[in-house]
Parts: sequence; C-alpha cells; structure tokens
Amino acid sequence: MDINSIPRLASGCRLHPTEGVLLIPEGTLKLTGPSRDILTLVDGSHSIAAIADDLLRQYPEADADEVRRDVLGLLQRMEQRGVVRE
Amino acid sequence: MTEAIASPSLASPFSLIAEVTHRCPLHCLYCSNPIELQRAQDELSTEDWKRIFAQAASLGILHLHLTGGEPLARKDLPELISSARESGLYVNMITSGVGLTEERLATLAEAGLEHLQLSFQDIDEESANHIAGARAHAIKLALVPVLKKFSLAFTINLVVHRMNLDRLEAFIALAEALDPDRLEIAHVQYYGWALKNRSLLMPTEEQVHRSLPIVEAAKQRLKGRIHVEAVFPDYFGSFPKACVGGWGRQMMLVNPVGDVLPCHSAAVIPDLRFDNVREHDLAWIWRSSAAFERFRGDTWMSETCLACPRKERDFGGCRCQAFMLTGDADAIDPVCTYSPHHGLLQTLRIPATDILPIWRDQA
Repeated sequence: MDINSIPRLASGCRLHPTEGVLLIPEGTLKLTGPSRDILTLVDGSHSIAAIADDLLRQYPEADADEVRRDVLGLLQRMEQRGVVRE
Repeated sequence: MTEAIASPSLASPFSLIAEVTHRCPLHCLYCSNPIELQRAQDELSTEDWKRIFAQAASLGILHLHLTGGEPLARKDLPELISSARESGLYVNMITSGVGLTEERLATLAEAGLEHLQLSFQDIDEESANHIAGARAHAIKLALVPVLKKFSLAFTINLVVHRMNLDRLEAFIALAEALDPDRLEIAHVQYYGWALKNRSLLMPTEEQVHRSLPIVEAAKQRLKGRIHVEAVFPDYFGSFPKACVGGWGRQMMLVNPVGDVLPCHSAAVIPDLRFDNVREHDLAWIWRSSAAFERFRGDTWMSETCLACPRKERDFGGCRCQAFMLTGDADAIDPVCTYSPHHGLLQTLRIPATDILPIWRDQA
C-alpha cells in the first residue's frame, strides 16, 4: 500500500453511524482524532493522496508531508490488522 | 418511583449472544452447550427476538452473535437479521453451514448479515465427521467458494484438542488454503458436553507446548492477509482468564427460551436464578438481575483475590469452572496458582489410558 493506493474497508467492517468506532468482526476499533474523517473516505474510490488532501483542506495549518505520512501509516496499520484492503 | 438497584456507573455491555435455537444437525463431542437442551416448541418467537434486538441496541450493545445450536434451523433467520440491522447491531452468525445453499445465503446477506463463522473439526473427512457426529466436513469445504461470492467477513474456527492437536500445522494449512479473513484457533472449553468428554479431549502438556510456536509462526506468516487469533487453554496456565471479560461486564446471552445468562454455562451454578425476556427488558436485566449481580465487582471474592492486583485484569476468573472443579462457585478459580485446589488441574491434565465412552447430544 502506498500513497497512490485506493483503499477500501474490508468485508464485514463498517463505521458506526454515530459513535467514533469502526465495527469489525468480533470487535470494535476506537477512532481517535481525525481517523474517523479518514475512514469516511476509505470507500474504494479515493486514493490515499486524495484522502490526505481532503484532510489538509480541513486543517490548512498542518504540514502536508506529515499529514500524508500519518494517513498512509494509519491505513497501513489497519491493512496489517485486516480491516482495510487495497 | 423505584430506585435503580445497581450502581449508576455500570457500563453498557458490548455484545449479545443470541442462542436462537438448540436444534443442531451436528453433535460435536466438544459442544459447550448445556446438557439439558431447550426444546423447539418452547423457543422464543420472531417478535420476541425483534424486541430483544431493539432493546439491546438501546442498551448500547454493538455486536450480535447469532448462534445455537444451528441458527439455520430457524426459518425466520432473514427476518431476525434484518430487524437486528435495523436496530443498529452488527450481525455475526456462527454456523455449521449444513443446509446453507447459495440461495439461502443470498437472502441472509441481503438481510444484512455481516460476518459468518464456520468451524472445522479436523483435516480429514473421517476424523472430522467423527468429532462432529455428522457428515459435515465435505459440506463445509464445498460452502467456502460459495461464501466468497458475498461481501461478508469470513472466519474459520479450528477447534483443537487432544485428537487433532498433533496435526495443527496441516490444519492451519487447510484453513489458509480456504483463505478466510480471520482464523481462530481455539482450544476446547470444558463446559457442557466437552466437560463430559474431557478425558478424551484434554491435550497433553507436551502437545500444548509444541503447538505454541506453530500458532506464533502462523500469526507472523499470515499477517496482513489472515488475522489470526488463538485461545490458549487455561488449564495449562498459572493464572485464570478474564472469563467473558468479567462477570456482568461485557456480554449478555439469551438462550432459546429467553432466559438471560451472564455466560454460556452459568446454568451449571445451582443457586443462580435467571430472569427472562418475557418478563423484563434487557436494560432491567443488565442492571438488576440477581444472576448478573452475583459475581459483579469484588465483594464475593476470597481474601486472597481481594488482596491480589490481578483481580483488575481477570475479575476473579471463571465462576463456572470454580464451581465445576471445586463444588463452590465462590472459590478461587483453580487455574490460579494461588488456589488451594490448583493441584487438581495437574491431575486433570494427565491423559486417561482407558478406552472412554463418547458422550454427545442424541437429539
């Protein structure tokens, strides 16, 4: 998975409609900070770069490279956990 | 106005286990269901279950686990699934797969089923069918490519014990070839029928220790592809497990006739009285049912447990196990090295040499 990958949520994983949690098989992942905004765009149509750009529009004062690195890092960790796929 | 009996700080449970029926085409000799199974004619109605799901969601429960018995034995399963989804629950089903055609699976997926769990009993058909007490192995294998056509999370459970633990590497390879999203490697839990067959099923200490690096290697090898979870048998540990995340802390189980239990096997404890969903709603039961209150917190604990910092982690271990092994439900879980009964487990771990009878549900 790299900055140009287009991630999607794995089968059987979805955002809770109101709470800040990702519902996954046999559990939940608590979403802190901007991770809920990120996962809202993990829909099989946005690239990781596009997700980072969207986040930068919401937080214009943030460092662009850092945001890209953080978004990629988060999604790679979630891919390792099997809840996000390319 | 009546006052709430339980502490107002009581957190919501996470999950609801719905044993929608005890009917099952399999008769697994490790089944943890109670020996006294509930009869079909006494089962809760569709409307009862719909009401329970709505109550569960408003209580804050997130996950629903449809199990049994075999949930497919219920004709109203699609309706149960769609009502649970409408209430906002995440819907998981634990099934043997027997009777699950592509057409039927399509109706369940359309109703909103999100996760399906299928267990395997062994690597070869003859042994797997013997353990399951039914010709189910080939049916399960044939079901997997059908499952792949649907966007469901798919978990394979490998149930391990003395009869198959030596083949664990090949067993994991079988699961890997079936390419699930998740793989659970679970030792038999010694309740219900499994407890009756304990001498047949209890692995040797050597088997357990040989299996640990195999599980660890599989976790590493499959990382990012198949999420592996393993349940270590607590009979071989020195400290108890946090059974069901602590009594009355995380989950509620509704059995086929509507009794609400704090865990699968709580009915073995003789002085517990369970409240029923026909008389109370789940929120009341969660807060006030005497069965849930019985081992909440630490007031019931022995001096040894009260003084032990581990009580915050294991919540006093498993009450059913304490009762089944010592006859006293308040006793220290004998898995704990500080239990005066800890020596019992050493005896139970010695494999029996006699030819043993096999006990199973004959329904």
